[in-house]
Amino acid sequence: MKLNTEGMKPLYVQVSQWLETEILSGNIKENEKIYSQYQLAEMFNINPATAAKGLNILANEKILYKKRGLGMFVETNAKENILRKRKDQNLKPLVWELVMESERLGVTEYELVDMIKTAGIQIREGRNYESDRV
Amino acid sequence: MKVIECNRLSKSYERIRAINDLSLSIEENKITGLIGRNGAGKTTLLKIIAGLLHKTSGEIRVFSEEPFNSLKVSANIIFIDDNLAFPKSFCLEDILEAAGTFYENWDMSLARGLLEYFALHPKQFHKNLSKGMQSTFNVILGISSRCPLTIFDEPTVGMDGAVRKDFYRALLKDYVQNPRTIILSSHLLNEIENILEDILLLNKGEKCLHMPITDLKELAVGLRGKKEIVDELTKDMETYHQETLGKDSCFKVVKNNFSQIELQHVKKAGIEMLPVAAEDIYIYLTSGDKGGIDDVFNRS
Repeated sequence: MKLNTEGMKPLYVQVSQWLETEILSGNIKENEKIYSQYQLAEMFNINPATAAKGLNILANEKILYKKRGLGMFVETNAKENILRKRKDQNLKPLVWELVMESERLGVTEYELVDMIKTAGIQIREGRNYESDRV
Repeated sequence: MKVIECNRLSKSYERIRAINDLSLSIEENKITGLIGRNGAGKTTLLKIIAGLLHKTSGEIRVFSEEPFNSLKVSANIIFIDDNLAFPKSFCLEDILEAAGTFYENWDMSLARGLLEYFALHPKQFHKNLSKGMQSTFNVILGISSRCPLTIFDEPTVGMDGAVRKDFYRALLKDYVQNPRTIILSSHLLNEIENILEDILLLNKGEKCLHMPITDLKELAVGLRGKKEIVDELTKDMETYHQETLGKDSCFKVVKNNFSQIELQHVKKAGIEMLPVAAEDIYIYLTSGDKGGIDDVFNRS
């Protein structure tokens, strides 16, 4: 498994996000045991303490819960919590960047909304965004 | 539990102070990276810890004992560098078997497995191996000993890239299954940072910093953009490094204590935020006030 060592995101954040994706995709279900810090350390070739930090983020956000001596398990409402968090933490900054770049380029709100709608249609149809340019 | 404790430790060679008033402690079962420029005092410190060198002054405790001439320390420690002296008449296999009688936790099947994996023949002699293969054999010895305190001093000298990668992975895997205190010295921080828990940075015989590696990576951030704006945004911040780019742009590395709101300001001002690799932070922190290599050429 490969982590991005150059980017802005710390390794333990990348670990926690990978775990979130595993939960979202249903690979690990609610109330099931999640990987231990040692399993994660081997999978990602990182120090177990770094992996533990990734697990602890999710425990603090009520996505995982600890059972003494047994390890960490997926919380009952984990999926909803992850989705809410991602909307807030990932989508919002992306939208900000989008709007800021539009302002710099002088793109109107109407144009921008239109572009978003078009992109939505293209993505749902499985098309490539460059395909209509030729 | 603390495995190593130093208090105001110093070591001088003639008039040169290699270790200067060093105080630190290392906890049990952590992998610590000992990082520093050439001549920072890494090897001297490790040799004092291993009981191979006398200190000049101060205190040093390893497993709560003075390491020099301590049987307890020598039984629980292995020190691997590229100067290991082996009996001339022993082939690799003989050395491994002899090591097995020294070290309580020795794993012979692991040693043989690694020997085979790295294509070392058991009947070969150490002095006939290439530099990289000697280093490979030495780290096999270090890993298989499973010593409560395992010290690797620049273990990858001469190894090729693939072997280095395999070594770090083997070390991590064995550590996960058999946790123990490991110190790994290197000046190639980017190669070892992922498997470290703590980093100890030495500069000119003194402790520069000692912290979890994840904290070091968040310590600094680089800003690139118009010099005026960057300077305004980083007015009261600790600066580690700066350089000018082109006419009025600059790149500045500062301590990362931006709040979420300040980060948005930075972005809105059109300033680029760049991550600073742990390796670069270490170079900035230890570069001193001599200026860069460019200055040597700028003298007229």
